Amino acid sequence: MKKYALYPGCVMSTEQYAYEMSVRESLPLLGVELIDLQGFSCCGEPLKSVNQLLTLYLSARNLAIAEKQKLDVFAPCAMCHLALSECKWVLGKNADMKKRMNEMLATEDLKYEGTSKLVHTVDLLHDHIGIEEIKKHVTKPLKGVKLATHYGCHIIRPSEIGRPVDSEHPMKMERILEALGAETAEYPEKLDCCGALLQINLDESALTKSGQKLKAVQEHGFDGLVDVCPWCHKMFDARQTKAGETVAAKLDLPVFYLTQLLGLAFGIDKKKLGLELNLSPVDNIKLGGK
Amino acid sequence: MSIVDLTSMGEAQAQLRTEINERLARLQDEISDYCFQCAKCTSGCEAHKLLELEPHKIVALLKRGLIDEMVNSDVIWTCMSCFKCRERCPQKVAPVEILFALKNMAVASGKQIPGKYTAMLQSILSIGLLQDVQSVTTHDNKMVKRDDLGLPAVSKPMDAAKFQMVLSKLAIEKV
Amino acid sequence: MSNKLGVFVCHCGINISSTVDVDQLVKYASNLDGVVVSKDYKYMCSDIGANLIKDSIKKYKLDGVVIACCSPRMHEHTFRGVVETGGVNAFNLEIANIREQCSWAHDDKERATEKAEALVRGAVAKARLLEPLEAAKIKVTPEALVIGGGIAGIQASLDLADGGHKVYLVEKTPSIGGRMAQLDKTFPTLDCSSCILTPKMMEVANHPDIELLSYSEVVGVEGSVGNYKIRIKKKPRYVDVEKCTGCGDCVEACRLKDRITSEFNMGMGKRSAIYIPFPQAIPLKCTVDPDHCLMLTRGKCGTGPLCVEACEADAIDFKQKEEEVEIDVGAIVVTTGYDVLDPSSLYEYGYARSNDVITTLEMERLISSSGPTGGEILCPSSGEKPKSITFILCVGSRDETECNWCCRIGCMSALKQVYLLKEKLGNDVEINVCYTDIRSFGKGYEEFYRKIRGMKTNFFRGRPSEVRNAKDHLSIDIFDTTTNKLFEITTDLVVLVPALVPRADADEFARVLHVSQSGDGFFLEAHPKLRPMDTFTGGIFIAGCCQGPKDIQDTVSMASGAASRAATILSKNELEAEPQVACVDEDACSACGVCISVCTYNAIELVKEDDGKSHAKVDEALCKGCGACVGACPSGAMQQRGFKDKQILPMVEETI
Repeated sequence: MKKYALYPGCVMSTEQYAYEMSVRESLPLLGVELIDLQGFSCCGEPLKSVNQLLTLYLSARNLAIAEKQKLDVFAPCAMCHLALSECKWVLGKNADMKKRMNEMLATEDLKYEGTSKLVHTVDLLHDHIGIEEIKKHVTKPLKGVKLATHYGCHIIRPSEIGRPVDSEHPMKMERILEALGAETAEYPEKLDCCGALLQINLDESALTKSGQKLKAVQEHGFDGLVDVCPWCHKMFDARQTKAGETVAAKLDLPVFYLTQLLGLAFGIDKKKLGLELNLSPVDNIKLGGK
Repeated sequence: MSIVDLTSMGEAQAQLRTEINERLARLQDEISDYCFQCAKCTSGCEAHKLLELEPHKIVALLKRGLIDEMVNSDVIWTCMSCFKCRERCPQKVAPVEILFALKNMAVASGKQIPGKYTAMLQSILSIGLLQDVQSVTTHDNKMVKRDDLGLPAVSKPMDAAKFQMVLSKLAIEKV
Repeated sequence: MSNKLGVFVCHCGINISSTVDVDQLVKYASNLDGVVVSKDYKYMCSDIGANLIKDSIKKYKLDGVVIACCSPRMHEHTFRGVVETGGVNAFNLEIANIREQCSWAHDDKERATEKAEALVRGAVAKARLLEPLEAAKIKVTPEALVIGGGIAGIQASLDLADGGHKVYLVEKTPSIGGRMAQLDKTFPTLDCSSCILTPKMMEVANHPDIELLSYSEVVGVEGSVGNYKIRIKKKPRYVDVEKCTGCGDCVEACRLKDRITSEFNMGMGKRSAIYIPFPQAIPLKCTVDPDHCLMLTRGKCGTGPLCVEACEADAIDFKQKEEEVEIDVGAIVVTTGYDVLDPSSLYEYGYARSNDVITTLEMERLISSSGPTGGEILCPSSGEKPKSITFILCVGSRDETECNWCCRIGCMSALKQVYLLKEKLGNDVEINVCYTDIRSFGKGYEEFYRKIRGMKTNFFRGRPSEVRNAKDHLSIDIFDTTTNKLFEITTDLVVLVPALVPRADADEFARVLHVSQSGDGFFLEAHPKLRPMDTFTGGIFIAGCCQGPKDIQDTVSMASGAASRAATILSKNELEAEPQVACVDEDACSACGVCISVCTYNAIELVKEDDGKSHAKVDEALCKGCGACVGACPSGAMQQRGFKDKQILPMVEETI
């Protein structure tokens, strides 16, 4: 069993429970042991606009906590993964900044060296576990379902600091979904942003961005949308109705976390995967599980 | 010798420009000087159509040193951090990072921060997270709590006092 | 050995004198051992400076000269001439670099002068020990090799051959003509490219002094200026060129007709496994593609090869083998041309996602009447005429993440295509051009740009972020900085103007040629302004796009220039070799052979004398004077003339 410190981030821990449930249910079957550590805080990414130093510190302290336990970090939230990645990159390049961070971390009895590796759901599944291993556990393939993938922005860009997926032609989610038996297809709006960050100060614009994307996906005839970030999922799933109203469209699109579909294909019970928490019409599709 | 922008009667704020460029150099490699205004960033900007953000113009104004105009504007807060501008720029300029610098500058100068940023900051200071644990509605309109779902307790900073001390100090420092 | 030295200190305007106290330096030098006269002048490299040196040599009967000035890379050659004319052997000259290595590197006047004194002191110490040297003579092979049969190679070959020199022209593909053969019309005159190219191709074919080796590759280059040995691989066409009439019956009959992607048509069309690349090919002979022909890949072609059946001249011969030939030449002109960047690396522009996103070279094949659509402009996906065509310039050019250079011809070739498309499709076709800058720098170019502006072309100043596939068209958002507005362009065909890049095998070929490359991978010129066709390897010249992107007129100019440069070598019977080469003290040499193992120019060999003793021997024509063998020699038997241990060690001691 490969051990990872699970770094859940704020949104998954306080609101998007289905992601956490499906992660905890499906990954152990693939040989992943998730360790819960104490002392984590927000990764700081949403506060980058307020004070980037705060963001760097918050990310550094979370990485240091995992480092102390000699664990690599698994961050299922794309925004957290970006914050932690950028922190590793900046502190890796800039010795002065690293020193400055460590001086402050000392107050909390922490030290950052950069030894813990970092993964997100997509590269954990595709690169580290591997498609062949995933296929072995599929008992209820997602047959006859055409799914659109939404990578979001933060696991694909900026490629300069190293991201788990390609920035212009990401295909890892498609490979995973095909291994689960589903059909996938390209669509022009695939790399469009969900606008979630604008919920902080321009909520209507956030809803417009998500509404536009959902409308396009629906018009292309997909049976559902798959995402890998609690910010994106909240917009597309929980706020789908409002998003639809904002763009004057009747939206009726099932939206899943990748790990929920993973669990369903592995034959795990719908309830354990938090499917009752999805507010989008997930029952529109007949998928496996009891 | 002087160069004056006749619409705002503003001159270049060289010091602020240097401050921003030095900050950018510390955090990444991009230098705004190399921008040749191809506007590939604006052509692909996720916030442009809806909110009229023009990343290439932000870079141009930075090059001219017309910083206050941007720091005092609302448009800098429309960026949704999609990073497309940084990804596709042929001259390795990162308008998104310049915007973060401008926003940080606006906050530090005491300007009112829009939206829920203040509330988020306060929440982090007190419990280490953006918000407290929420009850959510299910598909069939039931309310559930995190505990009901069999999930372990949420991880939070252990020594709240030390955490708050560091953060309070940090919050007023510059990058 | 010199004991009557003259030291000449140059001010170099104020380049040296503003940091080094020249008066003090002159006085200091005059007191050194062996120095009989010490003078200074503002510009030692001028006529007056030269005369000062020559007069001093005569007056003071000098037998050695030290010049304290700029880097020897600047004027060593000139000063050697001056000294020789003055009556002192050219190699009894030592240069102390007090500019690049002193005045230009320091600010502190006192310490810089001290350093200059040390440098002069060292130079004088060495000059005392220098020996007169005579340059060996090298016989020149009066023939030339031109590598690459595009317009640059064609022009260079004709210039050299018309000048009376025999030329071997080697071309890798089955026909000469290169990129120009792929073009429909050329800017800004809108000449038909083939019409102006084919007469030159014919001239090459018929020229008594040009031997054309087509479908051949240069695989080995040995030797040095005046004496190169070239190994050429002649690839088998599987067609007897003596018998083949180029009638093309085999092409029509081929079992794989229209099944193989045509390289000449940039992948826009198909050909047979036996083919003639284009109608005006020279030589007009068929070639069998060994990667696809069924006979060659599988050993059988149905019940029998249809080409053989169709060929009335009985010219097809599957038993042909590759041949290697060796030729001797005195100079080489490299004209291997360029490739076009594959825009798949800019995935956002949709080249890999849509058949209706093409490059300018592919569009050129559509426009061309000898192209895959017979000159009709049709969208590759639908086969229908486009109602709207959008050009995106600078795809991968001026881009720090791809090619940071300007492709130089992108703007003009796009404008040219706009004209030709309007001509073919009528004025109703909407043509959009998204540009970052329009570079119309040449003669007649600005006028051409003005003409296109007058043809209702929609110019947008900006680079689009992406090209999106929509249901039955392509969609491009572009922010136009001239109007400060975002436009959504709905278009049928997108033409990307890609960067021009070095050939895929440029790195490998540069090694074969012993030629350097610049940072961008193109072959490196000796000096961008003053020696653009020379390389740092004597006797090897470059012309055309293999040195960097350029248009046809600059290519042809450069090719003629390179031919002229090559001719300066070929028109001499003998050349003087650089005398500062390695030499062996035969008595001290133990024949260990270490020097041979480090020599990259294969200039050393072991010889056995009559008394049975072996020792190393240096071929002075091949030796480049790099000094590697000198450094490697364990006994000190290998020395370099002009830089012997007994000359350098005292120099080091005196300098410190």
